[in-house]
Amino acid sequence: MRRLFDLGLALALGIALAFLLLPILALFLRVSPGTLFAQLGSGVARDALWVSVKTGLIAHAFVVGLGTPAAYLLGTRRFRGRQLLLTAIELPLVLPPAVAGIALIAVFGRRGLLGGTLEAAGVTVSLTQAAVVLAVAFVASPFYLRQAVEAFAAVDRTLLDASRTLGAGSFRTFRRVALPLAAGGLGAGSVLAWARGTGEFGATIMFAGSLRGQTQTLPLAIYAQLDQDQTVAIAIGALLVLVSLVVLLSVKLLPSWTRFSSGWPTPFARSASR
Amino acid sequence: MLLAVMLLAAGCGGSGSGKLTVFAASSLTEVFQQLAPGTRFEFAGSDTLATQLRDGARADLYAAASTKYPGELYAEGLVEKPVVFATNRLVLIVPADDPAGISSVSDLRRPGIRLVIGAEGVPVGDYTRKALEQLGETGALARVVSEEQDVKGIVSKVALGEADAGFVYATDVRPVAGEIQAIELPAAVQTRALYSVAVVTGAEHRQGAERFLRLLRSERGRAALRDAGFGLP
Repeated sequence: MRRLFDLGLALALGIALAFLLLPILALFLRVSPGTLFAQLGSGVARDALWVSVKTGLIAHAFVVGLGTPAAYLLGTRRFRGRQLLLTAIELPLVLPPAVAGIALIAVFGRRGLLGGTLEAAGVTVSLTQAAVVLAVAFVASPFYLRQAVEAFAAVDRTLLDASRTLGAGSFRTFRRVALPLAAGGLGAGSVLAWARGTGEFGATIMFAGSLRGQTQTLPLAIYAQLDQDQTVAIAIGALLVLVSLVVLLSVKLLPSWTRFSSGWPTPFARSASR
Repeated sequence: MLLAVMLLAAGCGGSGSGKLTVFAASSLTEVFQQLAPGTRFEFAGSDTLATQLRDGARADLYAAASTKYPGELYAEGLVEKPVVFATNRLVLIVPADDPAGISSVSDLRRPGIRLVIGAEGVPVGDYTRKALEQLGETGALARVVSEEQDVKGIVSKVALGEADAGFVYATDVRPVAGEIQAIELPAAVQTRALYSVAVVTGAEHRQGAERFLRLLRSERGRAALRDAGFGLP
């Protein structure tokens, strides 16, 4: 009886694995590695990679730059409405991408809430590279925020208090105690946010459009190439799979890595990283 | 068990359903739905649909906004001999309030104009490039801010006012007539989009497909196409 049960479990795992991994494997089987590399050198792929990296970096600077202090506040203070804010932050996580696209147009579009003001100042956001940055930041930031709030919340409060008792100001405490202790979680969140941002498609195509070298990111290039040159589309797809794999591995490895290499080997840090 | 899961998924896919499946260009959406309400339609860019058919997607009939893809598929033995059943012409569209003050194609040359067209390889995009060449207005291509994969992407960006102008088929204007204005192109433009339709080789619902073909070319079908703004061959 027990053996039968175990067999059933193993079978379920086998089916689940096959279902999840077979499509990814099939992607690589469809084009030989040689053609794959050759296609990645194609102009479309290179332009898309450049657009993705550039918009990704700018969006990421915003996400981490604003997200870290915001998450520190949410993670270390207790106040009324905090739970509500935490839930609100996660909303973009579950929002269908097309809805995110319409929502961004409703705010930043030329007829949007802020669009008129921006237009008067001579700035048009929609259908430009700035729109890609906004779309990427919008869908990616919840991944970072959520992870960062958790990381800061996990920092032992007594350490923060001790730091202040010993005469360090709030900013110094944030920089020298909280930040290093939360570094693993922040790093993991940052990598996840980057990955989600790189895969962004729905909001971008609606809000930013698709123009090679300008707004055509890697996922948009896949979509555009699918009916032009499938091998290019598959090559870009394979590249994204590899990038995702690296991302996943680094998220798994980051927390243990920072424990040893964090630049602040204080007694606090050691006791808190457990 | 794997078999059971696959059967379930196949059931959801609906390929085994008893309905006629028609793959049709996005621009045919309204008129086809009105002509044959009970049919299972898949509306997308003609090129996208051709890709899907090459990849083994099951359909009974393929109606494209060009003769190129049905011709290629015919040569590959994937569809039977295509016939032209309708024509369409290109128009320039602007938002209803025309914020950029565009009244002809030559206005597109002005700096700062935001133009949206179909991507290369997408029929509407290829027709647009051909038309601009015939008009000697290829300078407008420098104003392109987005290249869309289908007509709906162009219409929506102009209707929302995010783009100042776009090129679509005359028939795409009707459903959003309140939000956009259409500007006819000069007679010098010779390009007419030819819509051709073909029965898919080995169609599961051959009879249904042929009935649909007859309907398209019947008095009723021609009237519906004409009403939607299509030309007739």
